[in-house]
Amino acid sequence: MSELTLESLDRDGALTEALAGVAGDSRASFLRKTVIGGGALLAALAAPRGAEARTNDTAILNYALALEYLQASFYDEALRLRALRGKLRQQARVVGAHERAHVSALQGVLGGDAIKRPFFNFRGTTEDQDAFRKTAVAFEDLGTAAYKDQAPLIESRGVLAAAIAIHSVEARHAAWIRRLAGIVPAAHAFDEPLSKPKTIALVASTRFVAKTRASSAPLFTG
Amino acid sequence: MADHLLLDVLDEEAPIEEETAARADFLAKAVVAGGALVSGGVLIGGLPPLAVSAPSPAQDVQILNFALLLEYLEAAFYKEALARGKLKGELRQFAETVGAHERAHVAFIRTALGTKARRKPSFDFRGTTRNARTFAKTALALEDTGVAALNGQAPNLTKGTLAAAAKIVSVEARHAAWIRDILELNPAPRASDQPMTAKQATAALNRTRFVRSS
Repeated sequence: MSELTLESLDRDGALTEALAGVAGDSRASFLRKTVIGGGALLAALAAPRGAEARTNDTAILNYALALEYLQASFYDEALRLRALRGKLRQQARVVGAHERAHVSALQGVLGGDAIKRPFFNFRGTTEDQDAFRKTAVAFEDLGTAAYKDQAPLIESRGVLAAAIAIHSVEARHAAWIRRLAGIVPAAHAFDEPLSKPKTIALVASTRFVAKTRASSAPLFTG
Repeated sequence: MADHLLLDVLDEEAPIEEETAARADFLAKAVVAGGALVSGGVLIGGLPPLAVSAPSPAQDVQILNFALLLEYLEAAFYKEALARGKLKGELRQFAETVGAHERAHVAFIRTALGTKARRKPSFDFRGTTRNARTFAKTALALEDTGVAALNGQAPNLTKGTLAAAAKIVSVEARHAAWIRDILELNPAPRASDQPMTAKQATAALNRTRFVRSS
């Protein structure tokens, strides 16, 4: 099986708005709650230096939230449609739960500044095991690269600690699904980051983000 | 969470569904004769004593040298395991692939540190490379520990060094997930990876008694 990226999944875009709208956010209030798992860290460590730092971190967190929405919705839909069996189903259950936990953690931190969940249309990739596997590999490798790119830009120590703890979990997910897909789980000695514009372009190219709920219905069933 | 979780080795392979419960038993048996503190090995120091200290180039050197020690150790572990010739199939592929990555990490960190790079110590893996089973369990412990130790130091690094370290830590996480899946353990047991403090990481390394000289 060849290596696969989002580019090869589908063309044309829609997520651009959802992700790009994230860029300039304001009114940060993200320290009012803590992140699950790795992060009572947030409460303990976070000491933002000022409104500017908080605004920047808010934008980063909302960008992460957009990617987590995408992942969580993908696994949820695949499970709901009962498309998966055996080890693949188990992977989707465990990883889906993680992505949901990431969503709630980010929402909790962002509070009223959190972006809303967009509608998705996964274009059949949640209905077929082979398509699911390929898409999941692409999502998890992408998630790892996107978090890696953003981590050094984070101002708050607490937010950074939480983000880096999620970053390595995305890498674990990637290795897991790659092994299930018959691809070497760790292909390179160094994982490279992927910039925000490139990430947005890749996600947009999938056309997984839909304008309305109606279009998120499965293309076919069975 | 107990600070000595990771380098102690699970006493039996738990199926994936039971693994959360089984983690509590991880402490039960260390392959490397846990218990008494470092009677046969060398006590490692070398990480900043505080979990929270302002990033600085000098602190980067300390942290990178600790990371270098972990990479030396991992690289030597895979090299010895392969030399013994007991690994077959995917486990052998794992050791070859991951061993090459660890050597690349050693070279990368040594270059970054220049003359400040610590020397490679000698190691005694205390029989853990002798058969496939103890090899796999020890590899799992080393990789999970590498992730936790590096994650714990991320906020203490300057931004440039953090960007470099992040390229390594996710590869260590891939290694950990890979060997966990081979062992039929949950490759990603938590939604966020628990970091280790400097003290915890140092203590975990000391408990192995793998380091013979430094």
